[in-house]
Amino acid sequence: MNDRPNLSDLIDAARGHLESQVIPAIKGDAKLYFQTLVAINVLKIAEREIALRPTHVRTEWARINALDATEDALPFAFNDAEHALAAKITAMCSKIRAGAYDDESRRRALFGHLTQTARESLEISNPKLLQTLDEENG
Amino acid sequence: MTAAQIFIQNLTDFLAAESAQTVVITDAAPLAGGASRDMWRIDATFDGTLNKLVVRRDLPTVMVESALTRADEFALMSAADGAGVNVARPRYLCADPSVLGGAFFVMDHVDGVAIGRKVVQMPELADARAALPAHMALQLARIHAIDPTPFAFLPRPSIGSTPAYDAIQQTRATLDALAVQNPIFEFCLRWAEQHAPPPNALTFCHGDFRIGNLIIDARGLAAVADWEFAHVGDPDEELGYLCMRDWRFGVGRLRLGGIAHREPFLQAYESTSGRVVSRASVDFWEFLGNVRWGVVCLSQADRHLSGRDPSVELASLGRRSVEMGYEALRMIEAMGV
Repeated sequence: MNDRPNLSDLIDAARGHLESQVIPAIKGDAKLYFQTLVAINVLKIAEREIALRPTHVRTEWARINALDATEDALPFAFNDAEHALAAKITAMCSKIRAGAYDDESRRRALFGHLTQTARESLEISNPKLLQTLDEENG
Repeated sequence: MTAAQIFIQNLTDFLAAESAQTVVITDAAPLAGGASRDMWRIDATFDGTLNKLVVRRDLPTVMVESALTRADEFALMSAADGAGVNVARPRYLCADPSVLGGAFFVMDHVDGVAIGRKVVQMPELADARAALPAHMALQLARIHAIDPTPFAFLPRPSIGSTPAYDAIQQTRATLDALAVQNPIFEFCLRWAEQHAPPPNALTFCHGDFRIGNLIIDARGLAAVADWEFAHVGDPDEELGYLCMRDWRFGVGRLRLGGIAHREPFLQAYESTSGRVVSRASVDFWEFLGNVRWGVVCLSQADRHLSGRDPSVELASLGRRSVEMGYEALRMIEAMGV
């Protein structure tokens, strides 16, 4: 099927409703107003995730392959790819705690990978902060 | 009688009995509260003299988490008051939950601003911000000089351990309990384990000393609030904690809570406390503070995800976690990968 509106359109419609209809009507209720602003932000995160996540899954997978000197293929279907990536991350967490990346070159490579992973996550959850931090670094 | 009328009546009777004066409550309004306790602003006359008070109360329906009880908090604030720390003076304690539905205490109301964004931005507080580094240094030095011996209830590092090692282990235990697989925090905790600075002599610690928990008036620091996370620990933990980026409320380049540079504050703290402070140790604790707060964000999201406490605000905190994770990585880069 090629249903319209698509997933992004639907989320956008719900966000637009909250922004243009609900927010003006609840300015007198500070708590509800704040929580609705949070809800709007959550929908913006979801919209960015739909746009960026498929690329991030591929880049993170490729970096882990490079880090561990493997050539594992990323499953084709998106849900399978997410599950396969989650399994790799779980294994990586155990190895980090056990000291498998303590050696200096391994540690630096891991650090570079995780920094990039955090940046990709911030591109989705808070791109403004990422921009501010980059400007601070000059 | 309505619940509000019963609240006023019971509080009036309690205050009259405690003060042995004639008490009339002339105004009562709720202040911002949390999930497990609330606060009330109370105007009351005692034999005709107006007193502005605040009631801090446990909510009846909620399990008390690991934070301190109202009775503990009252005892600590009384000790801090006696040690020359600026606090809202605690007046009366009631541990009997039948009076207001939960244990509570009554303290003086302190005029001022606590909301972080306002403290770092309001033009009217420019003089206060200039005075704050010295005020914060003096207050922290006095807090760290409080003798913790009488307060057996305070959390403290386990025997043979250090505050840093305990913090690392507790944070890992939290990740495990949440079944969260987060390689950024795992890396940070491994790095912390291998780079923890030598511990200082243990002191009394406030536990949440930062912009947002300090009441600021036009002259500077009016009162130190929120004592429920007090513990015995490493004093550098507090010096680092209050510098965390999230407590700079958008003014990132000013490391001391978005109001000033860090170094003059540390020098003021050194001269008041008489203790030489390792900058590297303070850096480490600021870094570890980010890791711990990032993991707390994941715990908060879990309250929503588990269905215990459905809330879009708690859900969104989960996605804020990586802000602290990235900051922690940036700090590792500055300290040396």
